[in-house]
Amino acid sequence: MSAPLITVQQAYKSFGTVRVLEAVDLTIKAHSIVGLVGPSGSGKSTLLRCIQGLDTLDAGGVTCRGKVGFMFQDFQLFPHMTVLQNILYAPRLKEKGAALEQRAQKVLEQLKISAKSSVFPMHLSGGQKQRVALARCLMGQPDILLCDEPTSGLDIVTTTEVVSLLQSVCALGVTMVLASHDLEFLAQIATRVVFLKEGHVVADEEPCDTSSLKERYTTIFSHKE
Amino acid sequence: MEEFFSDCVYVGRGISFTLQLLTGGFFLGITFGTVLAILRHNGICTPFVKGFVSLVRGTPLMLQMSLLYFAVLPLLNIPMEVLSTGILSFGMNSAAYVAEILRGGIESLPKGQFEAAQTLGIPRFYMWRDIILPQVVRNIFPTLINEIIALLKETALISVIGGMDIMRASQMLSAEQFSYFTPLCIAGGYYYILVLLIEKIGRKFERASHHRPAGL
Ligand SMILES: Nc1ncnc2c1ncn2[C@@H]1O[C@H](COP(=O)(O)OP(=O)(O)O)[C@@H](O)[C@H]1O
Ligand SMILES: [Mg+2]
Repeated sequence: MSAPLITVQQAYKSFGTVRVLEAVDLTIKAHSIVGLVGPSGSGKSTLLRCIQGLDTLDAGGVTCRGKVGFMFQDFQLFPHMTVLQNILYAPRLKEKGAALEQRAQKVLEQLKISAKSSVFPMHLSGGQKQRVALARCLMGQPDILLCDEPTSGLDIVTTTEVVSLLQSVCALGVTMVLASHDLEFLAQIATRVVFLKEGHVVADEEPCDTSSLKERYTTIFSHKE
Repeated sequence: MEEFFSDCVYVGRGISFTLQLLTGGFFLGITFGTVLAILRHNGICTPFVKGFVSLVRGTPLMLQMSLLYFAVLPLLNIPMEVLSTGILSFGMNSAAYVAEILRGGIESLPKGQFEAAQTLGIPRFYMWRDIILPQVVRNIFPTLINEIIALLKETALISVIGGMDIMRASQMLSAEQFSYFTPLCIAGGYYYILVLLIEKIGRKFERASHHRPAGL
């Protein structure tokens, strides 16, 4: 067995008096696609942000072996830059030359967004913004990709596209953690589903199909305290 | 008529000084104000920036300028001419206002823009220069133009410490002619034309920048 790519140990996090993560333990192996589910407010985003380092834990630890990319729920593209500028800006600070431009073109083609390379984000649809955000992450050549609600605001057709898109990214060797409450989406893509309830990991299993995942979700979260 | 024309030329001798004060003061103000706004955002320096802004906004500019020229500089034994002293005091004063304007703009940007820069590994300097400030400046541009206009009108205070600006030139002409009306109207005309020019240039820049989208 290879060492896990992400290790979260006894993670605690509160905002003021609100306990958001409590004693969370999680290890994630390379090449897996892990779904993080739970109702709104259960701490999915916070866990992702702590893994990335956007928020710091009150106690416990996170180790990531490899580069981490983060996809925001609302994408956070840079509105004053074109699509190409958005994805080239950060890598250009470290690397110059034609090879980088070629890589950018390749990523845009792979995500089927090259036609929009000189367009500003405000003129893109939700699905297109999603692709650009993904392209921007991929330009950093991450080993781990953390996505917060990657299908929120997308219609069913676009969601299906996101599934194949993320699968193709996984095929490149990128390990993914997807925070989502879209069970249909997770059933299609996740190799493992972690259930978060009020900041605790309450279940951790492999999903079968949509209906049984939905059943599991209902049994877990309609539980009385 | 000929006399009016020569009066205009007389008062017009102050234009160059006024413009030097304005541009010097504004560039110092925008540079230092930007530094202040960034320092304020970053935490540790916040109380110092707040204190500076509060003091500058809470006392008359005329007092600040007099304090600098008649007290602080002589006490420190630093010889400084009127123009430099003027630029320094207008610049510091303007910096406080610019810092406040920028703070508003920075706070109204989504926090995610900073976080996106962070997750992409963009160093702070580049984040401010290329991601945050271009968006902020575009959003607050009209307010910045107002600040330049306010500064132009405040330059008239330079007469407290001397210096041949438009206002001062008109006062000297008044003293020569024992009449205030024409010289002051001419000075007012010059200021007004300058304000209109700044507005026009501002609108031109704003239109140019609006070909590209700003904010969200
Ligand atoms: N920056 C913050 N300040 C205060 N409370 C927060 C902050 N971020 C999240 N929370 C709170 O933490 C809890 C978990 O939030 P979140 O991780 O976003 O949950 P989820 O993504 O599962 O919906 C919520 O109750 C939320 O209000
Ligand atoms: Mg969330």
